[in-house]
Amino acid sequence: MSRVFLTWAVTHSVKEVQTEDSVLLFVVAWTITEIIRYSFYTFSLLNHLPYLIKWARYTLFIILYPMGVSGELLTIYAALPFVRQSGLYSISLPNKYNFSFDYYTFLILVMISYIPLFPQLYFHMLRQRRKVLSHTEEHKKSE
Amino acid sequence: MKHYEVEILDAKTREKLCFLDKVEPQATIAEIKNLFTKTHPQWYPARQSLRLEPKGRSLKDEDVLQSLPVGTTATFYFRDLGAQISWVTVFLTEYAGPLLIYLLFYFRVPFLYGPRYDFTASRHAVVHLACACHSFHYIKRLLETLFVHRFSHGTMPLRNIFKNCTYYWGFAAWMAYYINHPLYTPPAYGDEQVKLALAVFLFCQLGNFSIHVALRNLRPAGSKTRKIPYPTRNPFTWLFLLVSCPNYTYEVGSWIGFTIMTQCLPVALFSLVGFVQMAIWAQGKHRSYLREFRDYPPLRSPIVPFLL
Repeated sequence: MSRVFLTWAVTHSVKEVQTEDSVLLFVVAWTITEIIRYSFYTFSLLNHLPYLIKWARYTLFIILYPMGVSGELLTIYAALPFVRQSGLYSISLPNKYNFSFDYYTFLILVMISYIPLFPQLYFHMLRQRRKVLSHTEEHKKSE
Repeated sequence: MKHYEVEILDAKTREKLCFLDKVEPQATIAEIKNLFTKTHPQWYPARQSLRLEPKGRSLKDEDVLQSLPVGTTATFYFRDLGAQISWVTVFLTEYAGPLLIYLLFYFRVPFLYGPRYDFTASRHAVVHLACACHSFHYIKRLLETLFVHRFSHGTMPLRNIFKNCTYYWGFAAWMAYYINHPLYTPPAYGDEQVKLALAVFLFCQLGNFSIHVALRNLRPAGSKTRKIPYPTRNPFTWLFLLVSCPNYTYEVGSWIGFTIMTQCLPVALFSLVGFVQMAIWAQGKHRSYLREFRDYPPLRSPIVPFLL
């Protein structure tokens, strides 16, 4: 969900941020993450999961997650002044539908939502890591 | 008279939670729940689900022990439904919110709009009319909750009150903000549009009320009987010929009326979301009717005549 939003509603829509370093940051983080994640799924379905892939999936996120989130937040932050200036995706009163939407404020709320969401997802992955990798340890020891 | 023995097991762990001996054959599930609460006071009867199979249907409070397919030692499986809250409490809270919140915006209480608008009044007649209609609607709902409705269930899960209040209060604030805004734009077709909308609104409010009264009269006080509703002398109830849940049909109609009256997109969205939810409930109710009554009138559709 955040992938689609960052790609279309931020980076594609606000051309001025496309040259920012933060874009490179999240693209690299997403790319590495996805290559590992989909390899993990593929090998799992084939019932032949190399330990390296499982380890990578449950370990590299420790760096890649914060990297990706930083890139995303910095990109949204960089887009803000341009959104304010151009009134992108915004509608103000008065109008005949008696409706208003301020994309600038919406983006700020999106950024704030990372505060509760990111720790929840991060700690969930850490818990999964403990469960999955220690389980494999036990299997190895019993062989 | 032969007594029964009742054992209650946890549906998930199969752990034996309670053993009751010398239970009367005419004991109801409600009475058994009360006995269970004595040994486990944290599980008051409203949060107990007792069933014959671990994953079976919940038994009803009115079911009598000897009429159930059990031997003289009956085994029930227990599931905790979680903290419960009464339907009446939830309804009163979720409806009182919009009533008050809308008025805060109508009177332009400080911090909602700019300071120069505090406690000013709108110069558009339709804004005053809209406040009257919105307030009337929620006062009607509160009074119906207290004096008209006969609820099938006493309680619902506690978390519902947070979910429901967020929905009602949130949408009420959102709508009220725009309708009572200093920059509000009245309907494009002026008085004609407002008059038509008011007629639709009042017609549907009367309709909705008529259905609520008709449903109340189907069921004696304190009972939970279910009967097929039929049209009565009141013409508003003739919608029963075409629809299983005309109360929902009229409710959607009222909000469509309010949308046309205020020409406000958030009201349209609220009406749409409400319609989707009520359509889902109506489909469920319609299916229950069909399952329970062989002679259910075939012409009826759940919420929209002939269509849905």
